[in-house]
Amino acid sequence: MGMTITEKIMAFNSGRSSVVPGQLVWANVHTVMTMDYLGKQCFSAFESLSAEKKLFDKERVICVSDHLVPPPTEQFATMLNEWRETVRKYDIPYFYDLGRQGIAHQLMVEQGHVLPGKVSIGTDSHANTYGAVGAMGNAIGVTDAAIAMATGKCWFRVPESVKFVVRGEWQPWVMAKDLSLHIMGMMHWNGHLIYKALEFAGPAIESLGIAGRMTLCNMTVDLGAKNGIIAPDDTTIEFLRPVQKGEWEMLQSDADAHYDAIYEVDVTNVGPTISLPDKLDDVVPVEKLIGTKFNKAFVGTCTNGRTEDFAIMASILKDKQIHRNVNMVCIPASQAVYLECIQKGYFETLIKAGAAIETPSCGPCAGIHTGVAGDGDIILSAGNRNMKGRMGSKNAKIYLTSPAVVAASAIRGEITDPRSENW
Amino acid sequence: MAIITGKAWVAKNYVMSFDMILQKYWTSPINPAENAKWVMAGVSEEFNRENAFIEAGYTFIIAGHNFAGGGKSIEHCVTGLIGAGIQAVFATSFARLQFRNAINYGLPFITSKDINLSCETGDVLEYDSDSGTIKNLSNGKVFSSVPVAPFVAEVAASGGLMNFIRQKMADGTIHELH
Repeated sequence: MGMTITEKIMAFNSGRSSVVPGQLVWANVHTVMTMDYLGKQCFSAFESLSAEKKLFDKERVICVSDHLVPPPTEQFATMLNEWRETVRKYDIPYFYDLGRQGIAHQLMVEQGHVLPGKVSIGTDSHANTYGAVGAMGNAIGVTDAAIAMATGKCWFRVPESVKFVVRGEWQPWVMAKDLSLHIMGMMHWNGHLIYKALEFAGPAIESLGIAGRMTLCNMTVDLGAKNGIIAPDDTTIEFLRPVQKGEWEMLQSDADAHYDAIYEVDVTNVGPTISLPDKLDDVVPVEKLIGTKFNKAFVGTCTNGRTEDFAIMASILKDKQIHRNVNMVCIPASQAVYLECIQKGYFETLIKAGAAIETPSCGPCAGIHTGVAGDGDIILSAGNRNMKGRMGSKNAKIYLTSPAVVAASAIRGEITDPRSENW
Repeated sequence: MAIITGKAWVAKNYVMSFDMILQKYWTSPINPAENAKWVMAGVSEEFNRENAFIEAGYTFIIAGHNFAGGGKSIEHCVTGLIGAGIQAVFATSFARLQFRNAINYGLPFITSKDINLSCETGDVLEYDSDSGTIKNLSNGKVFSSVPVAPFVAEVAASGGLMNFIRQKMADGTIHELH
């Protein structure tokens, strides 16, 4: 019996030639990531493990300030100072702090800390994003992070795999986010894909760039899945070559690998898609909501804060004005994205159109800062979660969609199909 | 631990991690006694008061699909329950992140089919971890559950994964884990 790519990663990184779903393994971890608000706890737990207090490899413990920077309150400023002191004590070379910051998952991929065929873990749920380059990306808690920091190991139950084969032609203005939300509607939020490894394959996936692949893998956590993964190909190699940190393995699933289920999706039939407030899987095509008014627009996060996302927005908003009743906040996912969007003129276009650009962070997605929701807000967001209170007030409504829909809709101040005009 | 007995609280709807621990406590230190003070505050209005869940005195939770879902890596959900005196959670399914955290802290998260349909809040239950049998002593119904994996039992017997690893680091057997 053949193995899926996830099974191979679990096997080869735990010194085995094969594994089966349900098996428990201790796998070697390539990198372990933690960030500002949980990081100090990870190091404290790590220090309590042995008197030696020795990291397994300080180049493979990645530290990021993303949720709390720049600090909006004294409390967070103090937390950040304690976090910095902790990281400095261990002389961590890859510490992405304010000034060199970004959202952890973006940096892990962008800076080459995640590699095909390897296991990377992080103390934030969207660590599933790492599957975009053929890695096993997994979210874990403080305990697992502390143990991995000391031992370079983490325990895993080998997940059952489910495959999505995506064919057809991407329609104009349709993005990976639309496919992601479409699949959310098919399979349900935290539905029967709980604990599965989700593998995306097929010609419509191969044609996606790394940004789109990251969006797709990122949101698998909200399907309840253990990981999302796309087999590495030439696109992956081209992306990683300039930033690689270590050897990698170009693993692929075997032709006779077992899947609990295989779903076929024709992306030709996927249009711009929106998730209704409060529940991620209440998903409708944009046509159903045309004319719905909103007062805030947000594009950023580990899901949709990349150069490609701002490029499509700039192509829609070029020489246009955002409606006066809409406040738009855009947050690039990293300093590298920020700089590239400045150099390519995307942010000039967005600023001229009336958008506010914030410095890279998780921003209001986790309800912390730079544009949180107040009572009565109706937000059109390209983020990843829309439960009550996610962005601040419980009396705000969050519609989730793609950056293209946010941009087109912001012009009219009401939900608009980006296919309705030749931008 | 072979047989434990306690009073159950039955969740009416999905129990989500971000409701178990409200957003303002996500940055709090891990400390079972402290985390317990506001645990479940967003799950039900009756627990939205300091110490409410502790004072309610339940020692088992019964829930349906995807207990503690919603994709939060924070361990406060599990430490909060431990601090509140919860001995085990029985649900038809669990979300993976908190299932993992529960294993790491040695709190039994026990999967049992249909258990949420035949129990009421306040019922007294008896759980036999050797056989996996759950008896509702208040109404006489008996449920089977998915047996606890040997690794999970070993971690629980060590007092959690941190202790399990400490022992292996101390006796030099850590490299044998694979």
